Amino acid sequence: MNSIAGIRHIVQFILFVALQILLLDNLVLFSTGFCFIYIAFLLFLPIHINRVLLLFLGFIVGFTVDVFYDTMGIHAAASVLLAFLRPHVLNLLTPRDGYDTNDSANLHTMGWSWFLTYAAILITVHHAAVFFLEIISFEWYTLVKILLSTLFTGVVVVIIQLLFFSVKRAKR
Amino acid sequence: MRNLFAFIYRFRAFLVFVLLEALCVYLIVQYNTYQGAAFFNSANRYVGRVLEFQSGVTDYFNLATVNNTLARENALLRQELLTYRQAGITDSTSRLDTTLVVPVDTTIVDSLRTGPQTFNLHAGRVINNSVRRTNNYLTLSIGTKDGVEPGMGVIASNGVVGRVKTVSDNYSTVTSLLHSQMLISAKIKKNNTMGTIKWQGGDYRTAILDYVPLHVKLAKGDTIVTSGFNTVFPEGIMVGTISSVAKEADKSFYTIKVKLAVDFAQLSYVYVVENLQKAERDTLEYKAGILPNE
Repeated sequence: MNSIAGIRHIVQFILFVALQILLLDNLVLFSTGFCFIYIAFLLFLPIHINRVLLLFLGFIVGFTVDVFYDTMGIHAAASVLLAFLRPHVLNLLTPRDGYDTNDSANLHTMGWSWFLTYAAILITVHHAAVFFLEIISFEWYTLVKILLSTLFTGVVVVIIQLLFFSVKRAKR
Repeated sequence: MRNLFAFIYRFRAFLVFVLLEALCVYLIVQYNTYQGAAFFNSANRYVGRVLEFQSGVTDYFNLATVNNTLARENALLRQELLTYRQAGITDSTSRLDTTLVVPVDTTIVDSLRTGPQTFNLHAGRVINNSVRRTNNYLTLSIGTKDGVEPGMGVIASNGVVGRVKTVSDNYSTVTSLLHSQMLISAKIKKNNTMGTIKWQGGDYRTAILDYVPLHVKLAKGDTIVTSGFNTVFPEGIMVGTISSVAKEADKSFYTIKVKLAVDFAQLSYVYVVENLQKAERDTLEYKAGILPNE
């Protein structure tokens, strides 16, 4: 079971990064709404994953995107921040009877409100980090960018959950 | 000692986090300041191959535009060639009677007229391009094997594009004009007033021309070309046309918006400019105490 889950996450890594580089690189709404779908890989990892491993995975996925985007370090820094905050956000959102050992961050098992809060917090933090590291100064326009991009990425993440993470598989 | 290890073990996640963030900041700073030192970028061989594959698919969609641009460029070149040929026909010096007039050494005359060749152009295909980020880069499918070196200028058939940042064997990355830290020395064609072109984000068709003093007379539609004051671009390469001029009360320079001649979203073939006299000119200026400007 464990190795199958591992392979599934490796496949997800490749798919999400490929989607990011090949398709979503060219898809920008009104030159303000960016979609950084590769962080879905970090969001969908098992809940009880080792914290240090999670940090390294965050670095690797951010770095891969950086290499293709020629934005050395920016996406890596934002992803590592996301990976660091994820366990804390999960702690905050613990349901009354705690998490099951094999739970993953899944819309069908955890419910809509839980998943939306979880995704919204982490995506906002990540996007804010990316856009502020890009300009290293404050502009109001950046806030618009963050808001629109968070919405865009959030919607895509939810669509992916609904399409490819079926209810049946979640029950297993 | 054991307590120390226990402490480190307890806060291992936080320590790893700090280490990785420090590494990221180091990467950001190093990539922004030190030209050509980065290895991990889109000029990397494997990354380049992926991007080439991608553009191999998407290139089919703008074949019509590419053809149009090439045809227009051909027409322009033909026209230029025609004027040279006309000049050659009307110039009758070579047909004069040699008993009366001493024949002129044509090679000397030619080199006097045009000067020695100073620029080489290397054509390259754009395999990765962005226009909507704060800092935009292009990737070209030519590299050191084709004579490209960091620091060279890049132009398209209708204007200035950017400057080579890093080069690998087969690929190179170019800092686009659409980069928050890219400055290009330019001048207004009709009266040779110097200025600096820079892009401030947002619309990818508009840039700003800075440092034009208020006494200069300007009009909408004036042409901006490169100044040729550094070794990156030849003189007189098109940059764009003035789209709006404004005087602001607290500034001693105009605020000029320039509509860029190149549509960066449509780029598919560009030329890397190799300046054959770059080394000579740079060492001379360096010896004279002039610091190389970016």
